[in-house]
Amino acid sequence: MPQKRSIRIDGELVQVARGETILDAARAAGRTIPTLCHFDGLRNSGACRLCIVEVSGSNRLLPACTTPAEDGMAVTTSSPKLTAYRRMTIELLLAERNHLCSVCVSNGHCELQALATSIGVTSVRFRYRYPALPVDQSHERYVLDHNRCVLCSRCVRVCAELEGAHVWDFMSRGIQLRVVSDLDQPWAEALACTNCGKCVQACPTGALVEKGRAVEEMAKRCSQVAQVAMKRGAPR
Amino acid sequence: MSRMEDISTFNAVREAGLAKLLPDVPRVTVGMGTCGRGNGAEGVYHALAEANDRAGGLLASVGCFGPCSEEPLVGVWIPGSPLVILRRVQQGDAERILADALDGRIPPDLAWCKVEEWDHLTAQIKYGHGYPELPSWHEVPFFAGQKKIVLRNCGFIDPEDIEEYVAVGGYQALYKVLIDNQPACVIEQIKAARLRGRGGAGFSTGIKWDYLAKATADAKYIICNADEGDPGAYMNRNEIESDPHSLLEGMIIGGFVMGASLGIIYVRAEYPVAVHRLTHAIEQAREYGLLGDNVLGRGFHFDIEMVEGAGAFVCGEETALIASLEGLAGRPRPRPPFPAQRGLWGRPTNINNVETWCNIAPIVVKGAGWFTQTGSAKSAGTKVFSLVGKVQNTGLVEMPLGTPIKTFVYDIGGGGAGGKSIKSVQTGGPSGGCIPQEMFDTPVDYETLAQLGSIMGSGGMVVMDEDNCMVDVARYFVEFTHSESCGKCVPCRVGLDQALDILNSFTEGTGSLAQLELLGELGRMVRDTSLCGLGQTAPNPVLTTMRHFRHEFEDHILGRRCNAGVCTQLALSPCENSCPLHMNVPRYLQLLKEGRMEDAFISVLLDNPLPASTGRVCQHPCEDRCRRQTVDEAVNMREVHRFIADSVLGSEQWGPVMDRIQARKLASTGQRIAITGAGPAGLTAAFYLALLGHDVTVFESRQEPGGMLRYALPEYRLPKAVLAREIEGIRCVGMRFECGKKVGADLGLDEIEGQFDAVFLSIGTWQEAAAPVAGAELKGVRAAVPFLETIARGEPVALGRRVAVIGGGNAAIDSARTAVRLGAETTVVYRRERKDMPAIAEETAEAEREGVRFLFLAAPHRIVGDPRGNVKGLEIMKTRLGEFDKSGRQKPVATGEITRFDCDSVILAVGESVDLEFGRLSGLGLSPSGTIVADRFTLETSRSNVFAGGDVVSGASNVTKAMAYGKRAARSMDRRLTGSDRFPALLEAFEYDQTPPPPAAGGPRRRGHERPVSVRVRGSEEVVEGLTTADAIEEAARCLRCDVRA
Repeated sequence: MPQKRSIRIDGELVQVARGETILDAARAAGRTIPTLCHFDGLRNSGACRLCIVEVSGSNRLLPACTTPAEDGMAVTTSSPKLTAYRRMTIELLLAERNHLCSVCVSNGHCELQALATSIGVTSVRFRYRYPALPVDQSHERYVLDHNRCVLCSRCVRVCAELEGAHVWDFMSRGIQLRVVSDLDQPWAEALACTNCGKCVQACPTGALVEKGRAVEEMAKRCSQVAQVAMKRGAPR
Repeated sequence: MSRMEDISTFNAVREAGLAKLLPDVPRVTVGMGTCGRGNGAEGVYHALAEANDRAGGLLASVGCFGPCSEEPLVGVWIPGSPLVILRRVQQGDAERILADALDGRIPPDLAWCKVEEWDHLTAQIKYGHGYPELPSWHEVPFFAGQKKIVLRNCGFIDPEDIEEYVAVGGYQALYKVLIDNQPACVIEQIKAARLRGRGGAGFSTGIKWDYLAKATADAKYIICNADEGDPGAYMNRNEIESDPHSLLEGMIIGGFVMGASLGIIYVRAEYPVAVHRLTHAIEQAREYGLLGDNVLGRGFHFDIEMVEGAGAFVCGEETALIASLEGLAGRPRPRPPFPAQRGLWGRPTNINNVETWCNIAPIVVKGAGWFTQTGSAKSAGTKVFSLVGKVQNTGLVEMPLGTPIKTFVYDIGGGGAGGKSIKSVQTGGPSGGCIPQEMFDTPVDYETLAQLGSIMGSGGMVVMDEDNCMVDVARYFVEFTHSESCGKCVPCRVGLDQALDILNSFTEGTGSLAQLELLGELGRMVRDTSLCGLGQTAPNPVLTTMRHFRHEFEDHILGRRCNAGVCTQLALSPCENSCPLHMNVPRYLQLLKEGRMEDAFISVLLDNPLPASTGRVCQHPCEDRCRRQTVDEAVNMREVHRFIADSVLGSEQWGPVMDRIQARKLASTGQRIAITGAGPAGLTAAFYLALLGHDVTVFESRQEPGGMLRYALPEYRLPKAVLAREIEGIRCVGMRFECGKKVGADLGLDEIEGQFDAVFLSIGTWQEAAAPVAGAELKGVRAAVPFLETIARGEPVALGRRVAVIGGGNAAIDSARTAVRLGAETTVVYRRERKDMPAIAEETAEAEREGVRFLFLAAPHRIVGDPRGNVKGLEIMKTRLGEFDKSGRQKPVATGEITRFDCDSVILAVGESVDLEFGRLSGLGLSPSGTIVADRFTLETSRSNVFAGGDVVSGASNVTKAMAYGKRAARSMDRRLTGSDRFPALLEAFEYDQTPPPPAAGGPRRRGHERPVSVRVRGSEEVVEGLTTADAIEEAARCLRCDVRA
């Protein structure tokens, strides 16, 4: 098997190494595929479905983050259908919980907000659910606001894979799915937590934030966490 | 017990098993699957065991033979005779079954069918011959066409006895594979057999096996997926319960050829019997040297473990199943890597469904060529389906792939339960789709079902009839997948929640067409972007129902109606929902019960402007769904509103009551409306439009208003005086009648349109449909409606002594009973059976009492004339019932047998059609059958401000349906002319008691008194006299008040 694979991203020929994904290839080609649950250096979960692309010869849409780049693949990263689906995904996320940007500490620094803007979501056709979820303020330095959570699992993975603490995981299923610390204790009582704050920095929205931030003040240091993760050698 | 280590020990076990299967004494078996136990098989077994202690026969518990609706099943075998299957056996039957068996007899009342020999594929068992009076098993419709490969042993052997399995050729395939020691050849054989995954996805089993066989790793695993979770599907449960060793054998063979050392069976914990039998089977297999070290003495090491799943539906998805086995939450992960690359504990893994494993041993023994003889080109073999829902025979059926759906529904299932018409079949459970009746020719295989937007799935087949609401079906399945979604990916987690929300809005009557479009878009998005199979297939029930049953969605959204009566929030009560006029039945019954006759009359009249007429002639669909039927008989709602109408019309109360109605009339709008045709549709529209304040003119081609009510319904059913009084009541609301003016001939449509702001066309169907019978031109052949009209005008008709009436609708019965009153000997000739007649059943019964003869299953072949051109006789073709048509009735098929009888005239009552001439002249959009095309909800035609309704739109129908058109047209026309929905303002609010009565209140159903036959056939007096006051009030008290909600 050749070490290098060549694949076409929107017509452009790109060389990628064995084991790299379509997302890696697209980035090498300078293409932007929208992502939310992907986090550099962490295992991909394929949960948000924003990075779906069309691959010629396949009758289904494939997630760029988990699909290995195969020799000879021809990938389309943008089409009316993909845009419509991505738009709807964002709409569904906005409708799922409470994403009132104007009163959010992450306003202006939020990946969900940025995605909505770049994909052109100007209205939501679905009913807003507003489920009134609890806010865990028990931790000394951080807050977990479930109402802003998009369930991307970046906190879960960064804690388990990078910090090695595995404080976070999910409970329940379906629309009831919720992030929990340890066995659904208040965060402050989660014995495994090292207070490292990586989860907060990895969180794409205002769900995990530092205490004491006012509206628009919560800029995350995603890239720093990602750099640490990449240095340690990314798992697949 | 003996370990099987070589051919002699193997044979010894087989002999031991055969001795149990075919002992020297009678063997009695009880089907003890979960389904059998649910129907009382345990009680039967214990009773038989007790009796057997004294009798000394051999009693065994076996698996299930398939037909759930006939459980509990008992098999009786007397040495030398066929095995006889007894059905619906009760505990009390035990003694005599055994006593009879020991005497060499079979209880005839319980005997269902016999099995003379059985092909277990891996062996044949010859039971014996005899009992010529009993049908063989494959002659029973439920089994006809079934081919038992997977279920080859089910219901014959004791699933808890490995020796019986070996006796019918079990583990022979394994032995052969181990001795041949050619794993690659076995895989090639599976490939050549074109066996495909029976879990639903249909991936080639051979190719999948090849992947694992070629994978290199320190350990490899094989898994059996027995996490069956579809509502209404229980194939795998039965396969394990009835024949667990067949599964084990398949897995041991798989383990050997793929090089795996451990097999794991992931079975639902909710299947306790299956879990128990499987545990027992695995223990036995270890004991007999089929698992563990040195399998069958051939040096192969393999073991099987069983893991109980906690019941999450998503764990049927292979990656979620693996996560669950690893002790993680059952959430899927993206593929690739596929399990064959990285599966359980990161090792290469193969996962197959129970049924796939059960197919292995027969393929190994009989060969790929034999296997591919069954099934379709791309899908070889059989598939087990659980046929459930609204069919007469339910159960597990194993059919060759590619069998058309209609075979399942009509041949095996026996058609709709209770004679209802079947609407759809749902395949594949919550991941599948609904296939409409029009497509029942569709062969059931992987590709064809996928083309229709459904899937084969694990084999659930749920039949639905007219009482199922397809919107509710879609909602139900989405509710299921919504609650079973793991929540990992966005489309499935949030998309299904939003889809459920939209579907709920439809069933609650708050949805919009925009939401329907959004639902379609959302469904496609969830299908195309979800992470695993659950999300990818969850929209199928929605997308297929939207594709094939869009009209039902529109009914819910635009009409705010659920015709099946399932969505309770869209209906007041079952009677109100099934009434074409949506009369508030519980209200008038209660008002009458409270003694408020005037209020009751106003309640009735505002819902139905012709209550005395419909009270006599309505088809009363309200009774079909009346819940009182669950206590005794339906409430006689029709007779009660007839009583209310008869009591007020013409009495001194009438004047004041009509004043109250008049007082409800809205202020004049100054809009002029023309109604053409003063039949039930036109009169109804006129009544409401006049009340709404419009200036209404009714044009009628005949001399008097009333349409079919006046000119086609015989006096003995609806006296002209009653009708005249009712029309008088309508007229006094304020409208003009112009009789003797025919639209088209006397008055052009353009002309009317010029003079009026809106037009309602309700000209009915007066043209007799062309009769497809030779000799229709002879003198003495008449069409029913013109015949009835002549009588209604009081003109004489010479029928002769003997009359034949052809047809089975109300017109046929009316003609026949009229002919009897003219002194003729009358025979009705109908091509189907009595139960298929569209005529009101009571009318048919009364006709028979009056001396009308009926010839069923007889179609007119030729009308015979004499040389002068007069009718002399009728030749009829005997018919038999063939395939089912869309109405859920079987089509009559000519047998070729012709008989002849003499008659002097023939009345053709084979249906009426629209006056095509008018349709052409009007320039309106017409359907192929000549009816005017009008919007289903607004009744607007292709010309703006021209509306149409009644028979001219629907084709010949009935009075109440025509009136419903008139009512809808009035509301729609008013909305068009005024821009607002003012109709509800007409209706009056009543205060009345809202406490439901005790369930059995009111005693038995009251009927109107009928005049004796001898009196009625001599004149045209009304046959049924109305209810007496006391009876009417007591009948009203029988209502269970379904309209009262907690």
